[in-house]
Amino acid sequence: MIDLLALPFLACLVLTGIHAYLGLHVLARGVIFVDLALAQVAALGLTVALLAGHPPASGAAYGYALAFAIAGGLLFAVTRVRRAPIPQEAIIGIVYAVSAALTVLVVDRAPQGAERIKQLLVGSILTVTGGDVATLAALYAAVGVAHWLARGPLLAISLGGDQTGGRRVLVWDALFYASFALVVTSSVQLAGVLLVFAYLVVPAAIAVLLVRGVGARLALGWLVGAVVSAAGLAASYAWDLPTGATVVAAFGVALASAAAALGARASVIAVRAHGLAALRPAAMALAGLVSLMGLALALFPALDHLWLDALERVAPEVQEAFLTPSERAVRRETLESLARGEAQLREMRALQQDVQWGTRTLDAERQERLRQFLAGRGELTAGDRLVLRTLRSKARERQRYWIGVPLALAGAGGALVLARRRR
Amino acid sequence: MRRAGAGVLALASLAVLPAGAGVRAAAPAPALEVVATSTDLKALVEAVGGDRVRVDSLAAPLHDPHAIEVKPAQLARLKTAALLVRVGLDHEPWLRRALLTLGASAPGGARDLDLSRSVALLQTETPRLRADVAAHVHGFGNPHYWLDPENARPMTAAIAAALAGLAPAERAHFAARRDRFLERLDAGLARWHGALARHRSARLVTMHDAWTYFAARFGLLIAATVEPTPGVPPSPAALGGLVERMRATHVRVLVAEPYADPSLVRSVAARSGARAVTLVPSVGGAPEAGDYLALFDVNVARLAAALDAAP
Repeated sequence: MIDLLALPFLACLVLTGIHAYLGLHVLARGVIFVDLALAQVAALGLTVALLAGHPPASGAAYGYALAFAIAGGLLFAVTRVRRAPIPQEAIIGIVYAVSAALTVLVVDRAPQGAERIKQLLVGSILTVTGGDVATLAALYAAVGVAHWLARGPLLAISLGGDQTGGRRVLVWDALFYASFALVVTSSVQLAGVLLVFAYLVVPAAIAVLLVRGVGARLALGWLVGAVVSAAGLAASYAWDLPTGATVVAAFGVALASAAAALGARASVIAVRAHGLAALRPAAMALAGLVSLMGLALALFPALDHLWLDALERVAPEVQEAFLTPSERAVRRETLESLARGEAQLREMRALQQDVQWGTRTLDAERQERLRQFLAGRGELTAGDRLVLRTLRSKARERQRYWIGVPLALAGAGGALVLARRRR
Repeated sequence: MRRAGAGVLALASLAVLPAGAGVRAAAPAPALEVVATSTDLKALVEAVGGDRVRVDSLAAPLHDPHAIEVKPAQLARLKTAALLVRVGLDHEPWLRRALLTLGASAPGGARDLDLSRSVALLQTETPRLRADVAAHVHGFGNPHYWLDPENARPMTAAIAAALAGLAPAERAHFAARRDRFLERLDAGLARWHGALARHRSARLVTMHDAWTYFAARFGLLIAATVEPTPGVPPSPAALGGLVERMRATHVRVLVAEPYADPSLVRSVAARSGARAVTLVPSVGGAPEAGDYLALFDVNVARLAAALDAAP
């Protein structure tokens, strides 16, 4: 695990270092989607390079992507100072949509372009090389030093909201967006659009939620980025998931947890101040939700009721109570047969893999028999699953009256009582 | 409003039709207009039809065949085509909608040739469970059957029959051209089997699930696929296990397509010690793979070189 994930983790740390910092700027300026727009412009540059006949991983392709992205960044710098009657977010969105459309048009002329664009979205953080990481670290260190030297005016414009315009601001803005374009272009090549966006926005957002002051926010952003990267990589290894997407999802979980923690703290403070009555709106919402779930079960028992599925997985009695004794027996038998069948499938599939790799040998006829057995067993297992689904829908028909209707009434009643008590 | 629009459309088609008919009548020997969904099928139709057909491929050589956006001019060509030749199975999900759009004028019946019906398919088990799906994502069998050169026999037979049905006077011409093509194919097969004979039962790992037919024809064994679902990179555990097995069983060659993720190819090759070789899955995917036989010349030469060079 360590040898596979060490380089990706280093790459994640490098990404965290520059993006958590730039994210603070981007959040303060309120230009969140600048990152996606610039990444899209860089992708357009990349496809133009493909069209011009350069191989996708070449320096020329990178040069095209960088030139396009910097041009896009300068456009954003100019449009901000001009104080046009439309908000800058609109311009960013337009640049995104138009460059995405242009990419489609160019891709149509450049074979394999479509695959490249897909790869650019997903990225390949798992397969970075040491050289990639070292180059990126050196580049971002240089960008970081430049930003450190220019921190006075850059922070003043971003945080202070210096809206006076003028040439001086235009120059600093141009520097900011050009360096941003450089970072986005380089990161996206390595990690993919989604992951780069997550690194840019989520650590900075969590830091802004929790602490004040640029230094403290930067430190917390770095900490969050490092911890979430490690957690995402570990989860990707443990649960056998694509790495980049898992780290992005981990960032989502981190932000949701931070928000939930803040919400819990706010309600604790409110309860201390006003007693339990402070929780009434939340309780009403919960009662309303329960009522809706019950109503949905009562009206449409054949729909997917995920909460009931989850409940039945933890406590099978919830379903078994609504089955006749013979149905219950069928259910237990089917479950046993399913478990047996899946164990057998796993074993036989492992054998088939060993044969494919040549670590075990089977003659041709036995290989064919193994293939047929796997196909047949797969069908039987699918049949078992169908039986379970049929039994579940039978139970649902009964649960709709015994669970759905009571839940709907209780939830609605609870919400009404809570609402009346408020007056 | 809608009626007026329909009227304009009808007028437009009235205006277009006689003009098109005029052009056709003026041409000395009207070539059959054929639309193929891929460049491989285009090459085979041209091999049989020669100058009596004009073939257009809807997909460019290295485009993902699953995700084609049909363009208006292609729709127009599809509408007037004498024959549509397709890979079939679930290889062209966009085609059904395009044909629905054309309605009654869409090529159907004898004008719609599904070549998957003429060959013996591999991997036709229904993928029922998640773990089965991992092995291949195709619901009706692996659709890359043109990569077995022996399949060119039934495929060209079906093409020749369909063309002869549309132009009965040319039946002998098509049959003669097909015979000449099969002679060259036989010579090619002898050449290719010769080049790969030394490597029978060699184990390969492929990036995608496109080489099943090719490997089966030349007695090569595909041990595993790096990216079972195209576009979804493998998880670290899957990648680690794969590389380990490749090293343990001395898999020497990793087969990649030109559009495979280069960093993934590089990483698997470097960690496993296998040699990466880029094979071309479609006619026109490399400049030297200009027709159906050249496609195999290129792929066999590249693969044999990689297998020879690997320790």
